Amino acid sequence: MRFERMKPFDIIIVGGGGGGLYAAMEAMKTNPSLKIAVLSKVYPNRSHTSAAQGGANAALANKAKDDSVEMHIFDTIKGSDYLADQDAVDILCSEAPKIIRELDNMGTPWSRLDDKTIAQRPFGGAGRPRCCYCADKTGHTILQTLYEQCLKKGVVFFNEYFALNLSVSGSRMKGLIAMDMKTGKIEGLSARTVIFATGGYAKMYWNRSSNAAGNSGDGQAIAYRAGIPLKDMEFVQFHPTGLRKSGLLVTEGARGEGGYLVNSLGERFMARYAPEKMELGPRDLVSRSVETEILEGRGFESPAGKYMHLDLTHLGADLIKSRLPQIREMSMYFEGVDPIEEPIPIRPTAHYSMGGIDTDNFGRTVMEGVYAAGECACVSVHGANRLGGNSLLDILVFGRIAGHAAAEEARNFEPGNISEEEVRESAEEIRNYMKPAGHFERYGALREELGQTLANNVGIYREASLLQKGMSDIEELRERFKKVRVFDTSDVFNTNLLQVLELRNMLDLSETVAAGAYAREESRGSHTRTDFPNRDDEKWHKHTLAALEGGKLALGEKPVTMGRYELQERTY
Amino acid sequence: MNFTLRIWRQKNAEAKGGMVSYSVSGVSADSSFFEMLDILNQQLVDEGAEPVCFDHDCREGICGTCSLYINGRPHGPVKGVTTCQLHMRSFADGETISIEPWRAKAFPIVRDLIVDRSALDRINQAGGYVSVNSGGVPDANSIPVRKADSDAAFDAAACIGCGACVAACANAAAMLFVGAKVSHLALLPQGKVEARERVLKMVECMDDLGFGGCSNTYACEAECPKGISVANIAMMNREFLSSAIRKEKSSPFTGGF
Repeated sequence: MRFERMKPFDIIIVGGGGGGLYAAMEAMKTNPSLKIAVLSKVYPNRSHTSAAQGGANAALANKAKDDSVEMHIFDTIKGSDYLADQDAVDILCSEAPKIIRELDNMGTPWSRLDDKTIAQRPFGGAGRPRCCYCADKTGHTILQTLYEQCLKKGVVFFNEYFALNLSVSGSRMKGLIAMDMKTGKIEGLSARTVIFATGGYAKMYWNRSSNAAGNSGDGQAIAYRAGIPLKDMEFVQFHPTGLRKSGLLVTEGARGEGGYLVNSLGERFMARYAPEKMELGPRDLVSRSVETEILEGRGFESPAGKYMHLDLTHLGADLIKSRLPQIREMSMYFEGVDPIEEPIPIRPTAHYSMGGIDTDNFGRTVMEGVYAAGECACVSVHGANRLGGNSLLDILVFGRIAGHAAAEEARNFEPGNISEEEVRESAEEIRNYMKPAGHFERYGALREELGQTLANNVGIYREASLLQKGMSDIEELRERFKKVRVFDTSDVFNTNLLQVLELRNMLDLSETVAAGAYAREESRGSHTRTDFPNRDDEKWHKHTLAALEGGKLALGEKPVTMGRYELQERTY
Repeated sequence: MNFTLRIWRQKNAEAKGGMVSYSVSGVSADSSFFEMLDILNQQLVDEGAEPVCFDHDCREGICGTCSLYINGRPHGPVKGVTTCQLHMRSFADGETISIEPWRAKAFPIVRDLIVDRSALDRINQAGGYVSVNSGGVPDANSIPVRKADSDAAFDAAACIGCGACVAACANAAAMLFVGAKVSHLALLPQGKVEARERVLKMVECMDDLGFGGCSNTYACEAECPKGISVANIAMMNREFLSSAIRKEKSSPFTGGF
């Protein structure tokens, strides 16, 4: 292992979730002679992909015989509120059936229909039932399959390594600086190419988020600090059904199977907002509907805040036990409610990051040799709002494409040399957090306050005065963070230090989210401005870019790639 | 609620560890076990002491990161849950709770309550995969699989690899973990092709890594947070025996028939 590390890597993939592992597997297949490593802060099979319950969309037409790739494309573009790039959506939906079959061949236990074909369920915003699933553990089983393949193919794993920074000289990327969490040692890993696949940034909303503790947007923050622009960061998807207390997610599959959303008057209130699709409207619309019902006083009250009911009781014990076992388990343990007998208390929860590192259709960023894929990237296939079942698909399709592209292109780049001094500087920076003098702020309080201000001011409903408050809060928190103190000074598995480093990334990114939301004076998809309630195609049918220029955030823009589908009003 | 905690503290892999007592008070019955440990860690930080290190991530029972041997049971006293799904209402007010890391030769302690479970990955690396047909993306229709088979394979694939079965076992055997993977793949047509070879490689690797043998106490099934059945061990043994006998018959070195 020592010897291996001294030589430069052809590809280092940061992140071991579905996107990173698919990229590693595909790169190995493309050119087995390459030296490929995956670096992950958790064991790859623990990655947050495992929590994806619902499934992945692919127009296999097993359930609805008239489904087609074209319908999948249209649903995705319409769902994105026309902000997705149409050429990228073409790729996403056309590759989908192949990806499902490749996973099938590798042993992913897809749920089946009686005719022995892969089962498909309806999902929000989709015209046909096209979401392929493994009961409600789809992400978990896909992740196991990919990890098995990577282990078999000899991918080098740096598990429990925390990525700190890209090493860059001029416009050229030289490799990655990372910390071995088990020893605290900082290492420079030189590489020809780096692929970021670190997942989303929605954990910045803290306990109003469905994300795991680790979803702190590390890849996006590292890219941003290295000068690579981020795109459409203001678009954060709120999932309509998070558990009341913890924000943990109740899959959309629960509504796909026939669950009702009910307010305190006992009404299925979605009839007011999406009379045709009802509970299976797109997520942005359903989340706003739940929030509106709560704001207008038709919610239930509890010490943990106001909430709505997700009622599954009419579905019967058999269906709940066989198709939604994990949901039943979660609501029993975390809310003390058995959905067979009682409705589940829910409220919207920050769930998904549509924004991310700006890439082309091959996962390339503006910096040569740096790629990104999955939730941490923004190609963009989800635009202003992602459809359920398209996120697993995104990480698989674009993980594969980025892995292939990096494998083909790696040898065009010279590996850089990371100097001892660079590594020492990073180590120094970290040790600074442990110095008592002038360092007294606690990360726990900062993290809590960041989540609060984001949920209150940069949440589902936004307006100029709230966003200004959010931005000034974030600025103040960033100032206070300079005085944060790491109390644990040990080298071995310093969880205190890791949490502080994750908070730094969340703080860096929260500024881009709030600034983007403030600049975009329109309502589109997940981004709803009460002071600008309409979509404004003339001014705002474009992507926003956020880049660090001379240490300051600068906003820019980028046109949306159009195709067969013209702009239309979006109704359901 | 108030608790006395007896927690295993160990600075690093080489250091000598020991149980240390702490008390926490004012814990809500609705807090999760980890929220209770967060309170303790905040307390320790305030006193200028090192916080207790433990593994956690998703906090919703699916990623398999959390561990902890609580009052002598992996993932604590409640059946079918991981530690992150455990709540303080499952304990009595004033109770003394002992918290230890997973204990197994194959899972060395990294620090405090964190153990290295990469041995499980090495078993999978030895054979826990499908290698047929994974060369490219096939355009043909997917492989037809009976619903009953895919359901059974899924039940086995529900394993989150947390290692509770190893921690629960008097012999620190990894039979349930390996059995689940062997069954999951052997139940599917695409995995059947190399089923014989797979089980031999995985069992051999498991033995090499220092996991113990099975003495049929079923403690693993009882403690598994995902309800993986010991029937998977029976299936693995069946696969292993028939594969081992065939191998012996066909091997030129052992003579055979």
